Amino acid sequence: MSTKVVIKQSTYFDSVSLMSLSTKANQIEGVEQAVIAMGTDMNKEVLKNVGLLTPELEAAKTSDLMIVVKAATDELCESALIAIDELFKKKGGSKSATEIKYSTIDSAAASIPEANLAVISVNGAFAAREARKALENELHVMLFSDNVSIEEEIALKQFAHEKGLLMMGPDCGTAIIGNVALCFGNAVRKGNIGIVGASGTGSQEVSVRIHDFGGGITQLIGTGGRDLSEQVGGIMMLDGIKALEEDEATKVIVLISKPPAPSVQEKVLAQVKNCKKPVVVYFIGGEETPVLEAGGHFAKTSKEAAIKAVVLAGANEDELNKRALNWPLIEEVRAKLTPEQKYVRGLFCGGTLCDEAMYLAMDKYEDVYSNIQKKADYKLKNIHESKAHTFLDMGDDDFTNGKPHPMIDPSTRIARFLEEAKDPSVGVILMDFILGFGSHEDPVGVMLPAIIEAKAQAAKEGRHMEILGYVLGTDLDTPNFDEQVKKLMDAGVTIASSSTNAGLLAREFVAKGE
Amino acid sequence: MYIQALSGDAGFLERLARANFSGTVHSFFERTINLTCSENGELYTIGNYQLDNAPNTLIIDRKGFSELGLSTNAPVMTENNTLVIGANLRIWIQQATKWEGELPSYPCDIEGVDVLRRNVAFTKNYVDVYGKTGGMKMSSHPASPFEKEMSRMLIQRAGMLSDDLANNRIESATRHAISLIGLGPGLTPSGDDFLVGLCSVYKMRNISSCLSCPFFDEIVRTSQVLTNEISAITLKKAAHGQVRESLNDLLSCMVSGSMKELVPALDKIIGIGSSSGTDILLGILCGLERNLEAGGNVCLPKS
Repeated sequence: MSTKVVIKQSTYFDSVSLMSLSTKANQIEGVEQAVIAMGTDMNKEVLKNVGLLTPELEAAKTSDLMIVVKAATDELCESALIAIDELFKKKGGSKSATEIKYSTIDSAAASIPEANLAVISVNGAFAAREARKALENELHVMLFSDNVSIEEEIALKQFAHEKGLLMMGPDCGTAIIGNVALCFGNAVRKGNIGIVGASGTGSQEVSVRIHDFGGGITQLIGTGGRDLSEQVGGIMMLDGIKALEEDEATKVIVLISKPPAPSVQEKVLAQVKNCKKPVVVYFIGGEETPVLEAGGHFAKTSKEAAIKAVVLAGANEDELNKRALNWPLIEEVRAKLTPEQKYVRGLFCGGTLCDEAMYLAMDKYEDVYSNIQKKADYKLKNIHESKAHTFLDMGDDDFTNGKPHPMIDPSTRIARFLEEAKDPSVGVILMDFILGFGSHEDPVGVMLPAIIEAKAQAAKEGRHMEILGYVLGTDLDTPNFDEQVKKLMDAGVTIASSSTNAGLLAREFVAKGE
Repeated sequence: MYIQALSGDAGFLERLARANFSGTVHSFFERTINLTCSENGELYTIGNYQLDNAPNTLIIDRKGFSELGLSTNAPVMTENNTLVIGANLRIWIQQATKWEGELPSYPCDIEGVDVLRRNVAFTKNYVDVYGKTGGMKMSSHPASPFEKEMSRMLIQRAGMLSDDLANNRIESATRHAISLIGLGPGLTPSGDDFLVGLCSVYKMRNISSCLSCPFFDEIVRTSQVLTNEISAITLKKAAHGQVRESLNDLLSCMVSGSMKELVPALDKIIGIGSSSGTDILLGILCGLERNLEAGGNVCLPKS
């Protein structure tokens, strides 16, 4: 016997149609049993009682329509489902919560007069034009598209600044506005901490850590990765700080960026100095003194940024579980590795997570290579070949040109992981798994076969293969955070509790003679 | 396209007249359009002229909605006594008759109780003969083991609820009522329909054995997660004593009407949905039978 399931999300049919469809489905040749019902808990209980409940059905929501077919063979099930689909097409029905499509920004703005924000993701060649149209319609803009010239970016940001609007992007992948995550973002608690971030996964990480430490977010304003360059001059970060300073709900501001151009850092810190609210500054690899001189709160790591923010926002520091580094675990792993296994290989979906782990490794080792290294001598000449300690941002243009981002399509990372796992000089492979809106529906699941294969191969060769995983997500995220972590642990992967701890653990695992 | 509203729930019309309604199209069918109101998050319905008045519902002078170019999530707003749905549909509300539904009173004298007892017995027989199967009423030839098991669970749980009500076991009754929410085929699951009928009885004025507030509060609260939004709003309204016009009419007939008056009222209810009307009737019968058995006033303290 074979059972096949289809879930039609947020789909409503009137009762008469549903019953009639159900009757007809049960009459299809070869079908032993067909069920068409709304995905309520009670209906799932009935399915369980008749032995038809599957994990897929368990996940159905009350607004989803469940279609279950049981027949003698897979082929019969498939043909029955096709027949049922035909019946549905004839009936029509109503889908809820689907998107309405507008051909132009102008028509969308006219049809939804209360809208005040446009998220734009179009080919880079047209992105600036669409963003300008949105700004002309008095809409704040989140521009997901990249391949927008820097001249166009500057013009858009200056135009937005003059109109008092936010111009997030181009190449802005993360924002949380009014408690709604846009593009790549996580489900985090509403609170009193505002973030302005020039790095997407860095902003995600800090927002998730703030949630983990009991705090919450008012707004997360993305700027796009080039905002703090000399040419753009940090227009959006400066406007973002101003917006959060004026926002009554925001009590603490966090700034996140890769190191800005010196002149831009000066401008940003000058605004920090004049800001009436406490500002935590996390410029990855940045220096402490100028931040302190500006009256800001310096954070060396993403975890430190989150801790400082929640404490400034009112949390009692003594009561926080700061998730200290697990030194007994470090000793245990060190003992398992051979003297030859001395390198870290980091394969990241998140650029800022890669950057953070790389900087933490650079604090301890000289030979740290990457495709995003600032030090020219250590920037990988051939990104397909690792050297010594290597940290790869696999979401960078080097790897994504013509391919989807690894948060969506993990195939490039899987192939690279299997290569790294064969290298006997590798002590630990570090990987991030990013949950939340826009990400892969099961980022751990797609890596598991490769992880199991690599572990088995290493065991056959008599060496320990240490795989360190970091799952970026919250208890509110989809897919379920605990389930993703459990899958990794069941496969023998060591779990880090934060991006910072992931970087620290990786570098310490391979340290010799300590 | 401009369409005249014929009648509507008084609260809904007042909200529209105050221009205090904006939202989106939640879903639409041939005879109804459901709207999500941004102001209070509730669902409101636009019904065709064949439908009766109901809570949160506006009846308009049009038969079918499939040719209106509607789309889900299309914006909805009010302006100048007009409800604007998407780009094409504008509904004039100025001439609409206000409807305020009211449940009848439970009879308070022996003659009235006798009439009710007679009508309940008649309705029971009527449902046995004309009621639709597939939900609370089990088919003699279920289409599948799923349908058979579904009806078994519905009948068993409704029976336990009925037994609890007969014995004043309110906590247990609440649990069994909740176990019915979301159970059943159709857009509005049969268990929900049964509870709509039951609530309509227990919300009648002067009901002989009234239920305490937490019973209804729990139904409203749990229906938000246990069933879909369209069914949950009907259940919520019923738990507050607000039901569709044909149900008010039927209950009025049950307490004081002749059998001749009762038949068309019953036919109207049985015609709702697929088995929904029958399921509602079985809920009504359950509630009325328990009250007839209780006889006197065994009203529980409200908490």
